[in-house]
Amino acid sequence: MSAFGTQGQPLSGINVADFSWFGAGPICAENLATFGATVVRVESEAHLDGLRGVAPFPPGKTGYNVSGYFNNYNAGKLDLTLNLGTARGKQLAEKLIAWADIFLTNFTPRIIERWGLLYDELVKLRPDIIAVYQPMQGYDGPHRDFMGFGAVLSPITGYNELCGFPNRPPMGLGTNYPDYVINPGHTLVAILAALRHRKKTGRGQRIELAQIESSVAPLAPALMDCTVNGRVETRAGNRLPHAAPHGAFRCKDNEWNGQPEDRWCAIAVFDDAQWRALVEAMGSPAWADDARFASLPGRKQHEDEIEAKITEWTREHAAEEVMALLQASGVPAGVVANARDMLEDEHLKARRYYVYLDHPEAGRTAYDGPPFRLSKTPGVLRSPAPLLGQHNELVCKEILGMTDDEIAEALIEQALY
Amino acid sequence: MADAALSDIRVLDLAGEVGVYATKLLADLGADVIRIEPPDGDPARNVGPFYHDEPSPARSLYFFNLNTSKRGITLDITKPEGRAIFERLAATADVVVETFHPGFLDGMGLGYDGLAKIKPDMILTSVTGFGQDGPHAQYRWSDIVGVAMSGMMTLAGDKADPPNMPYGQQGYIGAGIQAAAGTMMALVHRDNTGEGQHVDVSMQEALSINQETAMQTFDMTKAIRTRTGARGLLPIDIPGIGVYDCSDGQVFAYLGTPGGAPWTAMLAWMTSQGLAEDLNEPPYADTIGQLNMRFLTGLIQLAADPPKLQEMLKTLAHIYEVFARFCKSMSKWTLYEEGQRQRLMFGIVSTPEDLVRNPQLTYRNWLQDVRHDELDATLRYAGPPYRLSETPWAIRRRAPLPGEHNVEVYVDELGLSPQELDALRARGVV
Repeated sequence: MSAFGTQGQPLSGINVADFSWFGAGPICAENLATFGATVVRVESEAHLDGLRGVAPFPPGKTGYNVSGYFNNYNAGKLDLTLNLGTARGKQLAEKLIAWADIFLTNFTPRIIERWGLLYDELVKLRPDIIAVYQPMQGYDGPHRDFMGFGAVLSPITGYNELCGFPNRPPMGLGTNYPDYVINPGHTLVAILAALRHRKKTGRGQRIELAQIESSVAPLAPALMDCTVNGRVETRAGNRLPHAAPHGAFRCKDNEWNGQPEDRWCAIAVFDDAQWRALVEAMGSPAWADDARFASLPGRKQHEDEIEAKITEWTREHAAEEVMALLQASGVPAGVVANARDMLEDEHLKARRYYVYLDHPEAGRTAYDGPPFRLSKTPGVLRSPAPLLGQHNELVCKEILGMTDDEIAEALIEQALY
Repeated sequence: MADAALSDIRVLDLAGEVGVYATKLLADLGADVIRIEPPDGDPARNVGPFYHDEPSPARSLYFFNLNTSKRGITLDITKPEGRAIFERLAATADVVVETFHPGFLDGMGLGYDGLAKIKPDMILTSVTGFGQDGPHAQYRWSDIVGVAMSGMMTLAGDKADPPNMPYGQQGYIGAGIQAAAGTMMALVHRDNTGEGQHVDVSMQEALSINQETAMQTFDMTKAIRTRTGARGLLPIDIPGIGVYDCSDGQVFAYLGTPGGAPWTAMLAWMTSQGLAEDLNEPPYADTIGQLNMRFLTGLIQLAADPPKLQEMLKTLAHIYEVFARFCKSMSKWTLYEEGQRQRLMFGIVSTPEDLVRNPQLTYRNWLQDVRHDELDATLRYAGPPYRLSETPWAIRRRAPLPGEHNVEVYVDELGLSPQELDALRARGVV
């Protein structure tokens, strides 16, 4: 297995059967690969990962292998296509699970049952397996079979109701928010806990991360305000009860591709010292020298007025200037960055956060780097996202121990599909 | 607890808000997390909401939630005596989690190198706005600064408004999750090799992947994704997609998605309620028969035939209005639950109250009751993010009162005498 195994990484020697798709599962499995695990991503042309068909694509390129959406979540993995609708495909899946330390899926309970991949069945193949399920709603309960993905999960879990300005509909965060950090991140924590337990006791276990539960957990303060105080919180824009001013302030427009581009800087003032520093950075304008604004309660009371006045100042400066000026004065401030800012950011470049990998079809493209850095065992994106079925032969031979004849049979039976 | 995944792990928790969700995750998995507050208390105790709306350091629900399952002591580590005690504690610990500005602990000799001298296999997890090095390492951060500089905020909101901050300190939450995962990864490595290390978590980097496709879109096409309001990426209102008002709130609909029932099933439901109006007649019935994701692509081709396109847009607008009237006549729970039972993709726009009464969460006993004797009250908390069959998540105790475990930790465990503890108190160290 030296062809693809790692040495000296936290998860060297750990094998992962990644039967997941879309965001929450694949991102978690990518992190396992980044820190040394051997991850086999199982896919099928019978039910392609929807992200393979979603933009962005490199200019002039199409097909299943070049989606930037898919590729960013699948670096460092081997890819095996298995058709679980065939008897041989099912048999090969079982062999892969017997090889795996960790099994991960976010397919619905109905499909997992149909495929015979429930925990009770997996332990027969691999007694100490860590089997991880990420259903939307859970494997029991009245909503077990409700459909969903990130776009619907955000409203169901409260993010749409709570995020944004109160005069707007509950539109959410413009993304399938819980899919990217909340759910894959929580899953990773749970898996690593289970690995420690297995190391100590030799026992595997079943992990269930119901995406509704994982997504609501971070909203605990709003829930407790309801269960304890009976208050039903709703959208409050960019303000916080214990800070003022606090929000995104419009700066001087930029020009991009011949079009004006609105630019913004986030500013957060929690205490009087930060307020005084902000005033000084603005050149101590006369309006700010007002007893009403000297303390937090006064600033909260007159927050509309303060925001308007600060905007008069920020409109005169580039967002980067506002940030640099305020940071130099000790006020938390940051450009509301777009993707261009992120990829061109000097700081992120100095830290080499984004990683550029050469993909056989997509070319050289950027990937999110490891989400945390370990000083002695830094994570590495060892290879770009795999092509669909790229490693069928490698996995069949080196992991599943198949002969050329067996592989040919599996191909004829459309099991490797 | 024998059944805890981290029962053998002691964590010294110096974290401010950007890291404290990490230590909560570790504590609820069974680690012995000792929260170290300055003698005048953790500033997060002053963040609301508060129990019965009474602002007090002993009543912050925000603090309660983030410090479940932890013990709490007070200690001023910047005083020489405090620092000496911290060193003694560190010798008993496996992990230190901190969120000071980069270099602060190094300046005290308590950075990774210093801690490794005290405890060679120490894991130090540092959670900051921008990481331990680089030109912005010393930048000040807060939650909104982190989400702004991660690229996710620019994607949220209406073009007429400022970019939207996510509710609930999501920058701190995301950084905390990645910090917990990084700490656990380092623990796994230590289990294998006996080697500790320094875990560096930058809130900006921790959240970057929340940009969804924005980063790759710019990388591949030089196009910038920005906030697009309630309609999302759609150029017009499409019947059955987006947010709809109900009699008592809102739902989010996403009809016509693969795997779900077709729009004709929606029409059948509306008809059965006597609320389909004229949608069973031409041209509406024909259009509804084709209304799915692929249909939208077809619309673009119609652009070549402006009169036909105008006609189609009129038809769609009418279907949209009738559908909106149907939603408005129903309750959000009916649309969500009845719709889902018919495999129509509806999601309730849950308020906190809806979450508290959600039948699925209730069936699974998700919310957790925790006793607070000093309030003479049992408070209902959010439940587990994950369920591990062998090593379950649990709130093992309520958040500590200020200095609640000073005697237990300093006298019973570190071996200070009660007189020494009193003297430290008198000198403001504890």
